[in-house]
Amino acid sequence: MTEEFKEHPYLGNSQQDVDEMLQYLDLKSIEELYSDIPDEIRFKGELDLPHYKSEYELLEAIKAKMSKNITTREVRSFMGGGVLDIYIPALQDEVLRRTEFYSAYTPYQPETSQGTTQALFEYQSMICELVGMNVANCSLYDWATAVGEAALMASRITKRYKFIYTAATAPNREAVLKNYVVGANLELEEIPYDPTTGKMNIAEAKTKMDDTVAGIYIENPNFLGVIEDGLEEIIADAHEKGVKVVIGADMNSLALLKPPGEYGADICIGEGQTIGGGPLNFGGPLLGIIAMQFDRRETRQMPGRIVGVTITANEGERAFANTLETREQHIKRERATSNICTNEGLVALSCAVHLALLGPEGYKDTAETMYLSAHYLVKELEKIGVKRVFNSEFFNTFILDLKIPKSKKQEFIDFMLERKIFPGIPYSNDGENYDYIVTTSYLLCEEDLNDYVKAIGEWRS
Amino acid sequence: MYRQAKYDEPLLFELSKKGRRAHLPPRCDFARDDINIPENMRRTVPPELPELHEGEVMRHYVHLSHQNYCIDTGTYPLGSCTMKYNPKINETVARMEKIMYLHPNQPVESVQGILEILYELQVALGELAGLKHTTLQTPAGASGEYCGLALIKAYHDDHGDTQRDEIIAPDSSHGTNPASTVMNGMKLIEIKSNEDGRVNMEALKAAVSDKTAGLMLTNPNTLGVFEKDIIEMSKIVKEAGGLLYYDGANFNAIVGKIRPGDMGYDVLHFNFHKTFSTPHGGGGPGAAAVCCNDLLEPYLPVPTIDYDKDKDFYFYNYDRPKSIGKVHGYFGNSAIALRAYAYIAALGFQGLKDTAEHAVLTANYAIRKLEKLDGFRLSHTSEIPRKHEGVLEATPFLRNYDVSGMDIAKMIISRGLHAPTVYFPLIAHEAWMVEPTENENKDRIDQYVQAVSEEMEKAKVDPEYAHDAPKWTSVGRIDSAWSVRNLVLSYKIYKEKKEKGEFVP
Repeated sequence: MTEEFKEHPYLGNSQQDVDEMLQYLDLKSIEELYSDIPDEIRFKGELDLPHYKSEYELLEAIKAKMSKNITTREVRSFMGGGVLDIYIPALQDEVLRRTEFYSAYTPYQPETSQGTTQALFEYQSMICELVGMNVANCSLYDWATAVGEAALMASRITKRYKFIYTAATAPNREAVLKNYVVGANLELEEIPYDPTTGKMNIAEAKTKMDDTVAGIYIENPNFLGVIEDGLEEIIADAHEKGVKVVIGADMNSLALLKPPGEYGADICIGEGQTIGGGPLNFGGPLLGIIAMQFDRRETRQMPGRIVGVTITANEGERAFANTLETREQHIKRERATSNICTNEGLVALSCAVHLALLGPEGYKDTAETMYLSAHYLVKELEKIGVKRVFNSEFFNTFILDLKIPKSKKQEFIDFMLERKIFPGIPYSNDGENYDYIVTTSYLLCEEDLNDYVKAIGEWRS
Repeated sequence: MYRQAKYDEPLLFELSKKGRRAHLPPRCDFARDDINIPENMRRTVPPELPELHEGEVMRHYVHLSHQNYCIDTGTYPLGSCTMKYNPKINETVARMEKIMYLHPNQPVESVQGILEILYELQVALGELAGLKHTTLQTPAGASGEYCGLALIKAYHDDHGDTQRDEIIAPDSSHGTNPASTVMNGMKLIEIKSNEDGRVNMEALKAAVSDKTAGLMLTNPNTLGVFEKDIIEMSKIVKEAGGLLYYDGANFNAIVGKIRPGDMGYDVLHFNFHKTFSTPHGGGGPGAAAVCCNDLLEPYLPVPTIDYDKDKDFYFYNYDRPKSIGKVHGYFGNSAIALRAYAYIAALGFQGLKDTAEHAVLTANYAIRKLEKLDGFRLSHTSEIPRKHEGVLEATPFLRNYDVSGMDIAKMIISRGLHAPTVYFPLIAHEAWMVEPTENENKDRIDQYVQAVSEEMEKAKVDPEYAHDAPKWTSVGRIDSAWSVRNLVLSYKIYKEKKEKGEFVP
């Protein structure tokens, strides 16, 4: 025990408990338990950390700092890019606040963790419904790391070491992909998109695919907001050459668009935050989705935990437990399919609650609102002479042709902020002029959309 | 007496009936028939999501929650996992609108508050590590390992040592260590531990070469034993041109007492869900930070969160030409980092040091009491004090009574307590890895040991009782092999099998 010992709520034992335990261990002080540590590496100074705070002081201190933020709810947000402002129903947070879920560990003792395992099985099953496949794992970190894991998985399945992807992939996801493939020594190649439509160049994709290519990654709708077509053609060609097709889907768009499983994709990935995983949280925690069509051999290459149905040994009752664990690091160590251990389990559960609340009708409602808001916005912007960069089919995201010079970018941000608008994500091909990637959530009403058009009009005059 | 709830709770899909609604999302007034998606791209069959009333959804999840054991249910002494109590204020803090509704691509002027907190957290972690450069981008411990090892690889490559592709780790290491090594395209050189469970210095000397990229070592190690020769190890590895990685999974034993930077380590990761009490969430989300010294700083992921003192302005620094790139889509699990920040602020330096000391005290108290039970022995040597955890072996019990370490673990679950981590580390036999943490008080530990003792006595008389455990949980002993044989991985597969007349429970 140190001299400054004080009884803190986060410590289970009082001074008397400490003394009793020391007595049992025949020790004079806790220090003796550290006596085997060489003196030269012991830290004896003071660290530059804050003095402890009471709960009230702590809350007020954090509030004061955080008050400097401006939230998406204090303005109108037209930002997407892979995460989206969504509404979390009251019931959902009520479930998430249940300590039985959030303060439990990974269900390695399934008999006493059926709450977690059943909820995650339901999550996996709902994801399968959305993407039109029949296997999903119970989470990766986020969409970006899911791209990396999917590339590695395609390589393990095909034993090939080249991976190709479209240039219309989000830059942050591309960056993580580039990082994840270094260790496996995968060669990456980009497929350009058509500068007028924003769609992938199909002819070039087909030329690039051969029997050295493990997989092809296509976002749909892509990062430019454009809905790809000709996917059936690409997939037929890919399958002929033994190439695995990975689709990065906007999970909300799947309420209206054909699910990847239906048009023949092998693996589907995406971001679960946008379909109810949780609030934006400044970009984390998120929820990496990965799903595939079941195959006895290939499913064994899936990264991360998977919950399956099982039975009890004596009664033969239905139960749920982690399965195919021999893919995982705690069993297979250097031969594991991934190093992932801690995942985003509670966010997956949260997403499942959200989807259960929405049901098929609510899921479609929200997607339709996003679609209609975006299309209304485009129509109104065209009326004032502002066009989209790509004149293709889109869901809830498009690039607004603004061509704001670099020197005026900050001015534009301030101008829009004065009007309580986050106008979208700046996008530039040359680093000189900026267009904006605009995304509509279902939280914007007609008035917000009109204000946006008005603000853009004012900026241009 | 303990009884866990049992509901035979149907799946959400089995509760569903067409037309029920549980939630009405905001809906715009635009005409729905304006939706015009080309036929070849249109979804024709809606997803079969469950259709339920709101109350029914709540009831379902309440039932499921009753079938879960959690840290607020009772003792949860999982070694290595570190099941600390999750302070409730942290959950309140993480639900501030000012964190929930921040988009990661917002203008940097609009996120100065969160950046200030993340920056302060970086500084605090750097202090605790004795390694002053920090990234918070890693969303979990394994991601931290992956990132930290990538820094080491990048450093060697940058110095023309491209042949350095071997990471040395002891056979007692966490499974993520070898897996993260391989993900970085490096080879794992596993070295055997000594009889006392520590790194064998001769084996280490034999393992290093001009191919050594680094040594990856958690300290105290997974047996809870401190690697006292760390300075000597550091010398051996560094003389061979390698670097040292600290697996921070066990940092909670030494917070404020010893700094990895002072032990010669070059890089480490922290697990926020271990050392800093953030919830485990039934598997996640966790969060991690990676701290490193000047040697490795140039390679940290982009962007780093930096502070301009003159302008009093926090900003993202992308100007890092040697960076390894990105390991997460945005800035890592910021809402978890915020909880860790609250935890650190609630304790302060002295309080953090106290958590380490109390964790070590409770662990030693628990294992010394358990060691006295007939059938248990402390793994490797009994001489050395343990730190935050200790590993017992149930080998004598298995030999004498045909009841395994896993059986004893399951019997403990029948008592409304949680089992320790079993069968890890791999260098121990019939391992029982016990870590009560600083939260568990003496009375609870006494009750736990008493329960273990009583259950072991019952098993001696009736081994079948042990093999059938647990009792009083929502389901009995699970046959995991069935799930691997049958691979019912989604409700779709479940339904298909059922329709084909195959057996599904």
